[in-house]
Amino acid sequence: MSLSTPPKASFLASLMDFPRNVWKSIFRNPLPSNDLERSATSFTNFFLHIHPVKVHKNSLRPLYTFGLGLISFFLFVILIVTGILLMFYYVPATSQAYDRMLDLRGSVAFGTLLRNMHRWGAHGMVAIVFLHLCRVFLTGSYKKPREFNWVVGVILFLLTLFMSFTGYLLPWDQLAFWAITVGTAIAGYAPVVGKDIQFLLMGGTSVGQEALLRFYVLHVAVLPAVLTLMIAIHFWRIRKDGGLSRPEDADPVISLEAMPTVKASVLEPKKTYGLQGLVRGPLTKVGEIPDNTVFSWPNLFLAELFTFVVTLSAILVVSLLFNAPLEEPVNALHPPNPAKAPWYFLGLQEMVSYSAFWGGIGVPTIFVLLLLGAPYLDRGPGGVGKWFSRDRLLANTIFITFVVANIIFVIIGTFFRGANWAFVTPW
Amino acid sequence: MRIALAIGTFLILVIHGIVFYNQFGHPWERNQNTYFDQAKVLAKTDTEKAALAGRKPRIEQIVVSNFGETRFDRCTTCHIASDDPRFSSHAEPVKTHPYSPTLGDTQKNGKWERRHKFSEFGCTVCHDGQGRGLDAEYSHGKDEYWPDPLLGFTTQDHWRKDHAPKLKGKEYMQANCAQCHTDVDFPGTAQVNRGRQLFFSNNCYGCHRIEGLSDGTIGPDLSDVGRKWKLDYLWGRIADPKFILPTSIMPKFNMKDDEIKALVIFLKSRKGRNFAETEIQRFKVKLTGGAELVQATIKPMKINPGEMVKQGEKLVLDRACTACHKLGNRDGGIAPDLSFEGQLRDGDWILAHFKNPKSTMSDSIMPAFRFTDDEFKAMTAYLLTLKGQPTPATGEAIYKNLCLRCHGEKGDGQGPIAERLDPYPRDLTKAGFMNSKSEARLVSSVRNGVNGTSMPAWGKLVTEEQAKTVLAYIQTTFTKDPRREIKARAIPEKNPVAYSTESVTRGEALFVNRCAGCHGRKGDGKGPNSLDILPKPRNLRNAFFVNSVDDKRLFESIQYGVQGTAMPPWIDYGLSNNDVGDLVNFIRSINPKPKGGQNAGAIQ
Amino acid sequence: MAVNLKRTSAEDSEGGRTSRRRMLGWLTGAGLAGSAGLSAVSNFVFIKPRATYGQPQRFSVGKPEDFPSGTRAILAPRGICIVREGSKLAAISITCTHLGCTVGAADTGFACPCHGSRFDQDGNVTGGPAPRPLPWFQVTLAPNGEIEVDKDIEIAPGSYLTI
Repeated sequence: MSLSTPPKASFLASLMDFPRNVWKSIFRNPLPSNDLERSATSFTNFFLHIHPVKVHKNSLRPLYTFGLGLISFFLFVILIVTGILLMFYYVPATSQAYDRMLDLRGSVAFGTLLRNMHRWGAHGMVAIVFLHLCRVFLTGSYKKPREFNWVVGVILFLLTLFMSFTGYLLPWDQLAFWAITVGTAIAGYAPVVGKDIQFLLMGGTSVGQEALLRFYVLHVAVLPAVLTLMIAIHFWRIRKDGGLSRPEDADPVISLEAMPTVKASVLEPKKTYGLQGLVRGPLTKVGEIPDNTVFSWPNLFLAELFTFVVTLSAILVVSLLFNAPLEEPVNALHPPNPAKAPWYFLGLQEMVSYSAFWGGIGVPTIFVLLLLGAPYLDRGPGGVGKWFSRDRLLANTIFITFVVANIIFVIIGTFFRGANWAFVTPW
Repeated sequence: MRIALAIGTFLILVIHGIVFYNQFGHPWERNQNTYFDQAKVLAKTDTEKAALAGRKPRIEQIVVSNFGETRFDRCTTCHIASDDPRFSSHAEPVKTHPYSPTLGDTQKNGKWERRHKFSEFGCTVCHDGQGRGLDAEYSHGKDEYWPDPLLGFTTQDHWRKDHAPKLKGKEYMQANCAQCHTDVDFPGTAQVNRGRQLFFSNNCYGCHRIEGLSDGTIGPDLSDVGRKWKLDYLWGRIADPKFILPTSIMPKFNMKDDEIKALVIFLKSRKGRNFAETEIQRFKVKLTGGAELVQATIKPMKINPGEMVKQGEKLVLDRACTACHKLGNRDGGIAPDLSFEGQLRDGDWILAHFKNPKSTMSDSIMPAFRFTDDEFKAMTAYLLTLKGQPTPATGEAIYKNLCLRCHGEKGDGQGPIAERLDPYPRDLTKAGFMNSKSEARLVSSVRNGVNGTSMPAWGKLVTEEQAKTVLAYIQTTFTKDPRREIKARAIPEKNPVAYSTESVTRGEALFVNRCAGCHGRKGDGKGPNSLDILPKPRNLRNAFFVNSVDDKRLFESIQYGVQGTAMPPWIDYGLSNNDVGDLVNFIRSINPKPKGGQNAGAIQ
Repeated sequence: MAVNLKRTSAEDSEGGRTSRRRMLGWLTGAGLAGSAGLSAVSNFVFIKPRATYGQPQRFSVGKPEDFPSGTRAILAPRGICIVREGSKLAAISITCTHLGCTVGAADTGFACPCHGSRFDQDGNVTGGPAPRPLPWFQVTLAPNGEIEVDKDIEIAPGSYLTI
């Protein structure tokens, strides 16, 4: 980092230094040992520079976030990697798809494990994304200035569901075929454009080769691209909206009276990214304000690494212990009885069994619209950054009611429905 | 934190190690190495030994494209010695596939030659199983989701424990032989042929359709049943129909195990792509309902006019009539008792009923069997001789003997065979109904029967006195409500509205508006509400019934309702005499006029 | 908040703690690196198919009687030419060693239609750009009396199976 002109190096010396220089050109900083280098590590590394140099202590509280957002992201990464690998052996053709599943299970090395990881990872991602959504809602984190990021998050949740839905058809087994037949039929109930959407999804009048190809393209190209873009926006907005939400009393109260000489820029305690300018230039002395932030290196990065390790080991252990189901090959004339959707859609299926429009389109649409509109309808300033804040009793109650209702429907659909969707008791 | 992190990464490393380790040392590699080692011992020449030394374990596969979709059979990866005659006395999986003349294999100079070469046929074409699997559990089809486990070798864990042992045996593979060897008398598919005969001789064809063989419509179509279901299900449905599907109406035929086995093998061979039956033959089945085929398979009996009754008896007993009907102490528990048939019906009725059951009873579920006319005549002659026991004296005994089978022990119309009857037997516990009808009407129902229903005319067995006795017994035991005088009602003797197209149109509009909810838009008694109603709404297209009742009776039922049923008194809902007249005209219009003769109503 | 530029922080003064941290760091790093390495290897193992979807490499071509002496039978779908001279039998590849075209039979042996390589009857290069002679595959007489060719095993040209 010295600004003085380097001495003319002899060719031999350049050759001697070749490996070190290559290394240094890639990793510009040594392992940091002081605060300056700690900050430099964060913002000179491509993979780390999306992080702030310093992070608020509140954001690192495990019991505040449970790391849910991060777990979702890591699951997404695992799914991308395993998904790309699976694509090497998959053929989106009705005559071959199921056989390729058998090959993955039988003759391909690591095929079973990768398929398990992809399947369980997908289930996990749906669950964790939903829990993340619950966390953000119950801590009131969607409030100003994070309204738009909340909207992006809800869209990400829907994309995750759709991603999972499109992936479901690909094994071309009975479970897949009938779940998709039912799912696309539900789309057909949407007003005005429903039939067109159904036709576009299936590429025909029934689930067949065209539908398989379309779902494949959606699953491996369109949706991952959109999802990646939205995740990028989601992350960028976290920084721009001042990091994770935190209660108001987590920041020091700055009394202007007591610190008359403090520069105005410091009064924006949420603006952590300004530090970059600070460390680049000549040292600037700023006010001695009590500080609740810590350096990202190593505190944040270790936490993230830990989350990643936990996520990966959980997925690996589950994939080693349980095999992803593969039912009978498709028989278009003979649905299994009962024909059940994946668990996260069973709430929907249960509701659909009462009314196709209200269960499949009406209620979910209302729920999604309420979610999207929440930050604009609920403008009360209180209760940000605290779990189950008393200030947000009404909003939280409404939300929990919806969630619990859905969970009850899922439980009924999973355990209490037997042949012909008749009510059965599991004991 | 850092300790946890270190432990976590260590855990991941361990898991990776396990995963990696799992990929090596497959059972099939061990099997192949065993084979190589033993073959080296058996090898006679050095070149042979050298060739073996060069071989390393790898996945062997046979690509078969001659039979439907291309199959990849990797069975020879483990069963690597299947075509090496030197291993005939070794243990599976490194064992020679047996040679046998029944498979078409031939022996030349002491060396066997296969008729079905593995390189052309693969393995799964004959054996089923999952050709792509590489461990025994999956490739043999142990996995409960795999539709074709090794025929006759592999049973799946969820199969019924008492059936599973019976589902093993080489003979099950004949089902697959019959995919190509479709000749009826092919010696290699003896079990399939036996099953085909049983299919006809046990009258399965009466209810079930198999493309090219039969056209029954009461039970499910069995044309591709072998592709849809596994052995366990087929066996279970034949041996004990209600165990798998409690609502099944299929009779329990009480067949011996070897008969069930033959039937199962025959059914397993029906995969919807059998080409035994030529197009012309299929077309004939469509035209005649397969009568010729049935008669060709089960050899009709030559009827000798002098022995008609005796031969008829033999036929009735042989042709599984008692799988449904009751006769003496044989009881199928599905259809009415035939013990008094000679007293209840006349010969013409019985013969017509045999030839086409619906021609004498609109909603009969009895299939039309494809016997010869002579056989039907002999069976009729035999049935006419059945007079049953003399009618007992007490009301209770009469009821138990004659009425209980349909009307039930409690008199609630839920007798053992009630659910197969359409219309349902009357619920005699409903005081509202019993007391709203005059005694004369009830006695008439008993002695003259109710046309178009399963209630026969008991007149020859039950005198008027006896009818009254049994009615009194019913009244005290089931109805439990003392008879009351019936109020006189203002019912027109004749339909006040003349029959005309306009009247029928008005009646239809009214019917759709008021009646269709229960009686159905077509008047067939199958409206949306009918599911929840007992007794079921009347089928108003049952011409035998409708034509047997007069306008007054229809007026009474519509205007004043039928007590004890869901039929309300429509007079309370504003139907005038003229409206009811229109309705009656509409109901008459959907039932063809009798043209004389007993079976007149049959022409629909 | 002050930016600390000193190389030592308060924690570093406790030597034992530092070395323990270092060790844990190394352990973590080793674990991660090991897993990453294993995953990378697994992925290559994964994408290398163990069973292909083409015809098998080892196959039977029929009985010795099917190939009378003097036969030079080109089995195009299998990619081999069966040569029989007297009681000697061999299988020669018909895939050109230059750039993989299928060679055709010529009076003098084999000729490649793509770039003009020429081979003699034993597959030795006699002209054109082909760098190597056509390979010979192992031929064995299987125990059931049929001739088996294994395209995975190349043998020295000129080594025949004697029947």
